[in-house]
Amino acid sequence: MKNRLKVLRAERDWSQADLAERLKVSRQSVNAIETGKYDPSLPLAFKIADLFDMAIEEIFKQD
Amino acid sequence: MNDKKDQAGQPPKSEIPPSLKRYLWRIAIFMTAYMAILLGGLSLKNSANPPEGLFAYALAIATALPICGVFWTVFRLLVEMEDEYQRFLVAKQIMIATAVTLCAATLWQYLNVYDLMTEGPEWLGVIWLVMFGLAGGIVRWRP
Repeated sequence: MKNRLKVLRAERDWSQADLAERLKVSRQSVNAIETGKYDPSLPLAFKIADLFDMAIEEIFKQD
Repeated sequence: MNDKKDQAGQPPKSEIPPSLKRYLWRIAIFMTAYMAILLGGLSLKNSANPPEGLFAYALAIATALPICGVFWTVFRLLVEMEDEYQRFLVAKQIMIATAVTLCAATLWQYLNVYDLMTEGPEWLGVIWLVMFGLAGGIVRWRP
């Protein structure tokens, strides 16, 4: 699954650690999601979407 | 955007997650108990009057129980971990350790069937724990 997490984070000038703290996950989790090594669970995907005030499909797209 | 303002009211984030702290405490307790029981048991076994009968059974089981506690600790970590990605990595670690241990046991079993090896890896628990440790590096290197 592709995602726009890195772009959205960069637009807000957040580091991976900043985003991780906001999502209450580890920095490694943010890195793994951004690099496509890990697809988040539905609850975490909703949390990410809520944080950026966007719909899930605006952030995550099928390959 | 101001990070400090956004995080106002949130508790300061701990460096070590609570689940990992509990894991480390439990491992320390079980390993200390294991060392104490093992050293005590071995000194009794090597004494002039080694334990026999029910007492020997009790001593053997008492030595194994803290190691069972270590396995319980690892599985509790999997249940209690707050971070889903870290939990995913620990699940993969457990799968690798279990697969290698079962392969070793199966291999030994058939070597035994063909009378090629009469003594095999008896310390399967130890193999599992060593593999669990090694798999930790593997899954973080190639998740």
